[in-house]
Amino acid sequence: MAQPVQPTKKRKGIFGALAFLAVATGLYWSLVVAPPDAYQGEVQRIMYLHLPSILTAYLSYFLVFIGSGMYLWKREKRDDILAHSAAEIGVLFTALTIIEGSIWGKPTWGVWWTWDARLTLTAILLLIYAGYLMLRSLMEDEDRAATAAAVLGIIGFLDIPLIHMSVYWWRTLHQPPSILRPDKLPWENVHPAMLTALAISFVGFLLLYFYLLSLRYRLGEMRAEIRALRLQREA
Amino acid sequence: MGAWGFVGLAYGIVWGVILIYWFCLKRRYKETETELARLKATEERPNDGKK
Repeated sequence: MAQPVQPTKKRKGIFGALAFLAVATGLYWSLVVAPPDAYQGEVQRIMYLHLPSILTAYLSYFLVFIGSGMYLWKREKRDDILAHSAAEIGVLFTALTIIEGSIWGKPTWGVWWTWDARLTLTAILLLIYAGYLMLRSLMEDEDRAATAAAVLGIIGFLDIPLIHMSVYWWRTLHQPPSILRPDKLPWENVHPAMLTALAISFVGFLLLYFYLLSLRYRLGEMRAEIRALRLQREA
Repeated sequence: MGAWGFVGLAYGIVWGVILIYWFCLKRRYKETETELARLKATEERPNDGKK
């Protein structure tokens, strides 16, 4: 028998379509409309992926931090599901940031990788949250795994201010920020078409992120329901 | 490799990986949804198969 479409599924579908539209517009602006950089030329277009990717990863780890803190405080399963879901997607975006940076590094620095402070700290961030995911899959006791992961999720977040400040504190190959600078507003430092491309690309990444997070969160909820039903049956 | 080669490589890898993750997530979602529906159905009919 035909079933009506559930409202949450319909909402997710609309959200997904909006994300796709924003990503497609961002791609058009990044690859066609934005002018090439005066010094780096066309290769600078990788910035429209690189910056939104790392900012999305930071947002994800912020949600891990909030979810973990709330879980340790209130012991609510939904906070743990949020932290776990955000960590998984955060790892994806951090890995992509490192790959993009490496591809950008080769034509600009002449190397795919260097043990620069910012690059090394970002690699450590990836390892911390990959460890978070491994911890969750390796520990059999669900509650103990959630508690241990929450502690790691909070400690791992401390790496993000270090990454941001690394270009000021140490002599690094990585350039200082062009957009998030304390001394200049973004439009004083970057061409308006470049800034627009970056903004659209960032909105696309954000919408895509929240779409993926909503799917991953619901998956976590369903898994928790399955576990509860099985426990109920065994009891 | 020219400048556009590096740009194409970066964009190709990023959107390819995101697409693969999305497909895998959708598959995991569907499998879990089916399993949950099956469990709920047997929960509602606990005596199914017993005479």
